[in-house]
Amino acid sequence: MPAVSTPALPPVEVFESGDAALRVVASSADREANWATVHALAEWLDAAGADGVHGAVPTYDSLLVEFDPGVTSARQVRAFVLLGLRQLEFTGAPARAPREFSVPVVYGGEYGPDLERVAEQQQLSVEEIITLHTAKSYVIRCLGAPAGSPMMDGPDFPLPVPRLKDPRLSVPAGAVSVAGRQAVIAPAAAPGGWCVIGQTPLTVLDAAAEPLVPYVPGDVLRFHRIPPEDFATYAGRKLEAAR
Amino acid sequence: MNGSLVIQQPGNSVVTDLGRFRGPRFGLPVNGALDQFSARAANILAGNADNSPLLEITALDFRMRATTDILIAVTGTPLHLTVGGRECQQWEPVSVRAGETVALRRLDGGLRAYVAVHGSVHAPVLLGSCAPDTVVGFGLRLTEGTELRTFKSVPPIRQPYFDLPLFRLGLTRPEFHSTAVVDVTDGPDVDEFGGTADLLYSTEYTVSGRSNHIGLRLGGALPERQSTAEVLSRGVPVGAIEVPSREELLVLHRGRGVTAGYPVLAVVTSRSLDVLAQARPGHKITFRKTTVPEATAKHRAALRELETLRSTVGTVFSLLGVGGPPGPPRLAPAAGS
Repeated sequence: MPAVSTPALPPVEVFESGDAALRVVASSADREANWATVHALAEWLDAAGADGVHGAVPTYDSLLVEFDPGVTSARQVRAFVLLGLRQLEFTGAPARAPREFSVPVVYGGEYGPDLERVAEQQQLSVEEIITLHTAKSYVIRCLGAPAGSPMMDGPDFPLPVPRLKDPRLSVPAGAVSVAGRQAVIAPAAAPGGWCVIGQTPLTVLDAAAEPLVPYVPGDVLRFHRIPPEDFATYAGRKLEAAR
Repeated sequence: MNGSLVIQQPGNSVVTDLGRFRGPRFGLPVNGALDQFSARAANILAGNADNSPLLEITALDFRMRATTDILIAVTGTPLHLTVGGRECQQWEPVSVRAGETVALRRLDGGLRAYVAVHGSVHAPVLLGSCAPDTVVGFGLRLTEGTELRTFKSVPPIRQPYFDLPLFRLGLTRPEFHSTAVVDVTDGPDVDEFGGTADLLYSTEYTVSGRSNHIGLRLGGALPERQSTAEVLSRGVPVGAIEVPSREELLVLHRGRGVTAGYPVLAVVTSRSLDVLAQARPGHKITFRKTTVPEATAKHRAALRELETLRSTVGTVFSLLGVGGPPGPPRLAPAAGS
């Protein structure tokens, strides 16, 4: 596969991924540039709305472009992706002010069954884990499974967090989890192998709304601690941007 | 005229369509009919648009009663179809009179059957699709007593008309065997498996009972990833073949989580995903390597067969006055001539 090199954008490669998808990978050493490029390209593809292109799924350094092989083809979509990259090179990635979300969390106990395990593994106290988790703002890098989960770079723990040996069959909606160097909130109940350290009482997923989740990649999220007795006070409220 | 279908024995059935194609952008799998060819064919045979809501019935016996005269078509796995106790053919339009029971029994060649109703049925919609999503808890799973609203009534059609050999005009019904050949193209990460990648083509795999709409699990000799570098989560296509454990191969189907962190060894072609949709636990699968242009050509050939079917059905329906006011007979080649 030929690499397409441009001065303004990181080098991008396009790989076949079956007869109905392509994988586009930005492969520079600059992770931020890779991330910005695949997300800008996803937005460009969305806005362009080419015939037979279903949509694009951007993550960290890659983008999956899905299409209908009855209407278009891998060859045509590849050419279209390259056109998008040339456009972006000319116009630059669109700038959009990130919105901020504030997320109340009850840590530990029944709400965060893995909190003590994570503390032990990190050789820190439970309080130190909570302090680190609430200490910074997180950029939402992409929407993941299940159901538009906000995938974020994790808190500044000393070590990566191992996944559970036996994944849970069901993790409740609102679960606040960490694994490896990543952090996430579960918008819907689903099986999960990440360590659950807390839970937010806010409703993240609204199946009656479009889009289903209120944030987009690039938005910023911050956790704050609430006592267990306040869980019910927040319950039923929706997660909304602070500004 | 509005009527309804009253579900008497739901078995394992849902209302679905071809899928939520805008879902992956928002983190939702595409879902929709797992055997897309059979689902499209059922809707075409019922005189509907390909993407109309229809019933997907998996593995178990199913019965429903119609409250008005309707026209249906049943496709997918071979089964025993009766309407009002009369034995009827699959892959053909079938008249159902008000009050009659439609029964699908012995779904045993493959796994999934499709029932389309002329004029379709009512179903809630999320992001442009009625396909159920088990993760967000959306969709219409049928239970005993569910009443599905129908929109069009069709007076009973005298059977002799449908003795016309409609299907000699082009539709090749899919074959259902307990051993299947599945076409795949090289995945974007095939190199990570080194020489072990070839095991995929020399091994006969067995479908595990833990398979579902999210993915099929296959037992057999497993290619092994040679590198241990961490993989960042990325979008994975429907049909992606991964080796997440030392026990089984995982082939993702339409309910797959949109992102994952496993390398993609190979990708099943659109056409062969229909074959996998019909594979039962215990069935044997072998993989055959193809190219993206060949896979695209096969997919389009199948779509052309469906177009031929649509035009034949359109001709017959207009002669019978189904799907609109009866017009003058059109000068079209007689079916079978």
